[in-house]
Amino acid sequence: MFKGAFSIWKRDMLVLRRSLFSELVAVVASPLTFYLAFGFGLKGYIANVEGVPYTVFMAPGLITMTAVSAAFDESAWSMWFHRKVQRTIEAYRVTPITVYDIVIGKIISGFTQGALKGVAVATVIFLLTGVRFDPAHLAGYLAFIALGSMVFSCAGTVCGTLMDKPETIGKVQAVVIMPLIFLSGVFFPVSSYPEAMRAAVMAIPTTALFEGSRRALLAGSFDGGLIAILAVTALIAFTVTVAIFNRKMAE
Amino acid sequence: MASALSLNRLTKRFGSLTAVDSFSLEVERGTIFALLGPNGAGKTTIIRILTTLLRPDAGTAQVEGFDVQQQGKEVRRLIGVVPQENNLDRYLTARENLVMQARLHGMGAAETSRRVDELLELVGLSGRRNDFPDTFSGGMQRRLVVARALVHRPRVLFLDEPTTGLDPQSRRAVWEYVESLKDSMTIFLTTHYMDEADALCDRIVIMDHGRLLVDGSAARLKERMAHAHCYEMQFRANADRYEAILAGLPFVRSLQRTGDLFRLSLAGEEFLKPLMDAVGTDDIRKVCPREPTLEDVFIELTGREVRE
Ligand SMILES: Nc1ncnc2c1ncn2[C@@H]1O[C@H](COP(=O)(O)OP(=O)(O)O)[C@@H](O)[C@H]1O
Ligand SMILES: [Mg+2]
Repeated sequence: MFKGAFSIWKRDMLVLRRSLFSELVAVVASPLTFYLAFGFGLKGYIANVEGVPYTVFMAPGLITMTAVSAAFDESAWSMWFHRKVQRTIEAYRVTPITVYDIVIGKIISGFTQGALKGVAVATVIFLLTGVRFDPAHLAGYLAFIALGSMVFSCAGTVCGTLMDKPETIGKVQAVVIMPLIFLSGVFFPVSSYPEAMRAAVMAIPTTALFEGSRRALLAGSFDGGLIAILAVTALIAFTVTVAIFNRKMAE
Repeated sequence: MASALSLNRLTKRFGSLTAVDSFSLEVERGTIFALLGPNGAGKTTIIRILTTLLRPDAGTAQVEGFDVQQQGKEVRRLIGVVPQENNLDRYLTARENLVMQARLHGMGAAETSRRVDELLELVGLSGRRNDFPDTFSGGMQRRLVVARALVHRPRVLFLDEPTTGLDPQSRRAVWEYVESLKDSMTIFLTTHYMDEADALCDRIVIMDHGRLLVDGSAARLKERMAHAHCYEMQFRANADRYEAILAGLPFVRSLQRTGDLFRLSLAGEEFLKPLMDAVGTDDIRKVCPREPTLEDVFIELTGREVRE
């Protein structure tokens, strides 16, 4: 069962391994820039946030952001490329594997890229800046990242499945993904939102992701409600993505 | 159940266009079968239905007795596919492309390795096994796609215009491989090249507008044309002027030109004299009757020339 998915994932990992170093350098550049510009450039203007220095406060969000946007990018572009450009999806589809193998393999590949890139950014931030976290907090944090990467990998796969033009995928990134990530608390706590909006904002899965992961890493508090929101979202996203891909392939 | 392929009133529509129109066909095991037709005839659509990529709107199709809609997985186990457009993975080397195919067919590591090396040897790509396909010529890429389709030893091989766009040497190479496979599987191919269909295939079906026009061996098809009166004409000079004259004659059924050489078919023997009257004898180098080719059959039936 799902041997085909495993083969596709293995192929993606082989290809990733060939360009791993340049991929990691590229993925570290942008969060590190944010980190230096906001964390140090604006240091004098920003007081402690929720009791911790701003550089420490923003680190978990930057890592999470890197992981989930890498998962989205990889899934969207890879699916689009394999479907529209080199049409490898069609080569897969005339072998005994099923469409479920294909879509699951691709989702897991996006997820893996997100996770790897998140770890790369975390390592660099930890090494370069001396921000330290309690290792005991890591497990809870990783649970959030894993589920978040899964949700974004599914979202990317849906875009790569339904969108034929690369511009459209670019627009989704700019109009949906980036705002969603930025407004969900990469750079500020949800407590910045007016009291009345807070509950609603918290219910958005991305807020659950960024707030939950930050709390897990900084304070070691594992918020069951937030992880539940995220887990349910991931499950729904996965089911919907598989169904959408299946339908698209049956056209 | 000796049929490798069995199509029963297969129909596929794209909006208002009926790309495949109630198409029925039986292909016996072990044949090399050619589907001929002009661009847009529906050849690729038929291959896509038979290889489970596309759902028919009506009708049924079986590959080796398995229904393409109900038993897709069983069908896909038995088929090899060379699509019209190469779909190699350009991020994998030649060898890795074949290994990937073996994995997707659930082949074991040892068998994969042996089979892949054997095929690379067969298609003459052993020396380039670790290179990426986008560094290959068109002919080499095509050979790699053919090799990939053979990795799992399919029982039915689909080749959608396997040699279109290749230079003559690569064309010949691809056809040699196809010919060498003859005994081990059923081969279903589409092509624009009449000469090749003629030379290679046991059976030829010509289609247009989604419908089957004629079915038979190359010899039988030419027999059908025996009543058609084909001639070759060559002029010493003024070929352009003669082309216009010939094209204007109502009894000239088809006309093809290569340099100063014309091939034409007449509506009947009795029109030879009016033909000669129309062109005169001043510039004629030669006129001679000619064996009809598949190309003539094709033009006769579809009213169109076959272009790449
Ligand atoms: N996905 C599609 N959507 C709409 N029309 C299509 C599609 N695929 C093929 N067609 C149309 O169906 C007809 C048959 O196409 P095709 O099977 O590719 O022909 P052939 O391979 O004989 O050149 C053509 O008119 C083509 O434009
Ligand atoms: Mg075609």
